[in-house]
Amino acid sequence: MHDASFGGGTSNIITVSVMMLSYATIIYSTQDCFKAAWASHKSVHTKLDALTAQQSPEGWQYCLRKGRTRTSQLPRFDWTGPLRPYAISKMRVVPDEIEKPDWALDGIPKIEPDSDLQKRVEIKTPEQIERMRETCRVAREVLDAAARVIKPGITTDEIDRVVHEETIARGGYPSPLNYHFFPKSCCTSVNEVICHGIPDARKLEDGDIVNVDVTVYYKGVHGDLNETYFVGNVDEASKQLVRCTYECLDKAIAIVKPGVRFREVGEIINRHASMSGLSVVKSYCGHGIGELFHCAPNIPHYSRNKAVGIMKPGQTFTIEPMINTGVWHDRLWPDEWTAVTADGKRSAQFEHTLLVTETGVEVLTARLPSSPDVYPWLKP
Amino acid sequence: MEDDDECPPLAVELPPETPSGPSSDSPVGVTVITGYLGAGKSTLVNYILSAQHGKRIAVILNEFGEEIGVERAMINEGQGGTLVEDWVELANGCVCCTVKHSLVQALEQLVQRKERIDHILLETTGLADPAPIVSILWLDDQLESSIRLDSIITVIDAKNFRLQIDEHKNSSSFPEAFHQIAFADVVILNKIDLVEDNLEDLERQIHGVNALVTVVRSVRCQVDLNKVFDQQAYGSKNSSQLQELLEYSKSVPPNLRHDNSISTLCICEQDPVSLAKVESWLEDLLWEKKSDMDIYRCKGILHVHNSDQIHTLQAVREVYEVLPAREWSKTESRTNKIVVIGHNLDINILQDSFSHCKH
Repeated sequence: MHDASFGGGTSNIITVSVMMLSYATIIYSTQDCFKAAWASHKSVHTKLDALTAQQSPEGWQYCLRKGRTRTSQLPRFDWTGPLRPYAISKMRVVPDEIEKPDWALDGIPKIEPDSDLQKRVEIKTPEQIERMRETCRVAREVLDAAARVIKPGITTDEIDRVVHEETIARGGYPSPLNYHFFPKSCCTSVNEVICHGIPDARKLEDGDIVNVDVTVYYKGVHGDLNETYFVGNVDEASKQLVRCTYECLDKAIAIVKPGVRFREVGEIINRHASMSGLSVVKSYCGHGIGELFHCAPNIPHYSRNKAVGIMKPGQTFTIEPMINTGVWHDRLWPDEWTAVTADGKRSAQFEHTLLVTETGVEVLTARLPSSPDVYPWLKP
Repeated sequence: MEDDDECPPLAVELPPETPSGPSSDSPVGVTVITGYLGAGKSTLVNYILSAQHGKRIAVILNEFGEEIGVERAMINEGQGGTLVEDWVELANGCVCCTVKHSLVQALEQLVQRKERIDHILLETTGLADPAPIVSILWLDDQLESSIRLDSIITVIDAKNFRLQIDEHKNSSSFPEAFHQIAFADVVILNKIDLVEDNLEDLERQIHGVNALVTVVRSVRCQVDLNKVFDQQAYGSKNSSQLQELLEYSKSVPPNLRHDNSISTLCICEQDPVSLAKVESWLEDLLWEKKSDMDIYRCKGILHVHNSDQIHTLQAVREVYEVLPAREWSKTESRTNKIVVIGHNLDINILQDSFSHCKH
C-alpha cells in the first residue's frame, strides 16, 4: 500500500488533471462508413465554425473556464445543436459611484457562500421589502429596454450593452457581471441554450427565440427576472414552447402563499409541461434572493423533489422554469457557463422575483403598463 | 489543426462491453466514512484499498477547508496494485442556481470518465455532523444521477469509547462518539483486541443511541466488505432494512443514560394513518422545530389508509422522504412503526402527536 494518499509521492503515481469538459463518441460501424460520412459531417461543422470566425470583430475572443480565460480559436466540443459560441467583447465598466456586490472586483463572492442565509430562509423586514420592490422595478425596466431592441440582425452583445447601460443609468450594478467570473452583464440564451448563455458577436436570426436574464443590484439588494422573446417570425413549435413555459411560471405563481411547501412548485410545473409533451430541466432551480444573489431556499422545478421548507410571509425568492422541446438533460459548453439541451432542441424560460404576502404573493418583477407588447396571448 | 486535414481521422474500435460487474445504468454507491482520527478510519480505508476483493474503489479524501476546489481521488486498480491518483477539479463552488452541489458533479464526472468504478468512499476529516453531506448526496431519484448515497459508516475505537462512556457517566454531557453513532448506518467497532471484556455492553450503548445501526466488530478494521458496500440505506430499494423495521420490537433495553443524551425511541401505532397528516407531523418536528427535541434521524414504516403499499419513511435532520415500497403481504400485520434518533427526545410528545395522524 503506497503512502500516496497522505501526500507523499512515489514513482508509481500518475497525477492527471481532469478538466470538466465533456466529449462524446460518434459510433460508426466501419472505417469506410465513417469515411463516407466524414465529408458531409465535416462540411457542416466547418461551415458553422467558419461563421463564428467571420462574425467575430477584431480583438474579440472566445470565453473559457467560466470567464477566467479567453482563446482565439473556437473550442472543440461535440455541439448538441446548430448553435456555436462566438467571440465576446471586452468586459464592460461600471462607474465608481455605483454600489457594487463583493464579486465586482475579483470575481469571487465572499459573503454569499458562507452565509447563514444558505441554510435558513430569511423573513424580510418591511424596509428590506421596500428596497426589493424598488430594485425589482428597476430590473423590470432594464429588461423591457432590452426587449425593445430585439430583432433579426442584432447581436446578443448589443443586447448586453443595452442592459449594461440601462442598469448603470439607473444607479444599479448588473449582478451577473463578474459573478464567479461571468464576463457579461446579463445572460442571453438562444434556441437550444437552456440558461446562462454569454452575450457574444452572433447576430440574432429570423426564427430564433432568445431569453434575456437580467439581475440588478440596487440599494443593497438584487432583483432577478427573465423572459424569452421571439425574433422575427418563429415556427409554431417555438410559439407553443414559449407560451407553455410562460404558463408554467404563471401557474406556479398562482399557488404561492403562506403554508405552501416549496416542493409543490415542481409538481405544478411538471404537470403542465408534461401535458404539453414538453420536459422540465432539472439541473437548475429557483432560489432565494435579497441581499444575496442566490440563497435559500432551493426550489426545483421538477416533481417529486425533497425541497425543504414552507412558504412564509416576508420571504422573497425566484421561480424560473426551463422547459425543453426534447429531453430534459443538459450539457455544459467549454465556457463552463452555457447550458444547452443534450439533444440540441429548443428550450425556453421565464422568471420572476416573488414576495410571499400574508394572503398570497406579490410579483415584484411584474410587467408594467409600459412593458413592450411581445406576447400575443397577453393581448387584452 | 485537425480541421484542415483532408483525410478523416481514423475511426477507433470501441472496447467490447465489460461482461461482468454492475450495468452502466445502475448508479454507483457512495459511502461516507466518519469517525475521529485514531479511531481507525484511515486503517479502514487502507484495508479496503489493499484487500483482494476485485472491486475498483475510488477513495475521495475530502478535506473541506483546504485547497478550495481540489479533491484528491485515489483509485484502487484492484489486482495490479498500482494506484492512480487523479485530481478532480470541483466546479469552483458556484452556488448559483444549480440543483447539484459541486461535490456531486465532481463525483459524477469521476464515474463517467473512468472505466467502471464499483464504489466510492468519501472519507471526511473529523466531520462532526454528516447531515450536510447527506443532504448534498441524498439526491432526488428524478435526477437520475450516476451516483447515489449508499450509507454512512462510522469507525469507533472500542477502547476509547469505553473510556468516554466512563468519563461521562455522572455528567450531563454525552460522549462525542454518540453523535457519530446517531447518524451512522453501520458502526465498525474497531480495536476490540484492546478491550478485554464486555463488548456486549458497548454494543448495547451503541444501540441505545441508534437502535437500527449495524455493528461490526473488528481488529485493525479487517471487516467483511459485504457489510460495508451496497447497504442501500437511502432510497426505497432496501428490502432488508424494511424487514428489520417490521421485525423491530419496542422492547428496547432500559435507557442507560440521562434524559438529555442522544437516544432512540420507537413510536408505534396500529391504526392506519393519513399520509398528509404524517407529512405535516414530520414537518412540525423537523422543519418548524416546535419542541425542544432535536431530531437527527427517523426511519419507519407506515400503514397508510386506503393503500395496500407499505410506505417507508426516512429522514436525516430536515430532509425527509416518504415513499411506497411494496405491497403488504397477506401474513404481515399492518402497523406503523417509526424509530426516532435524537437529543432530548420525549416519547410522550412523539407518541401523542403521532396519534393525531390517524385517518
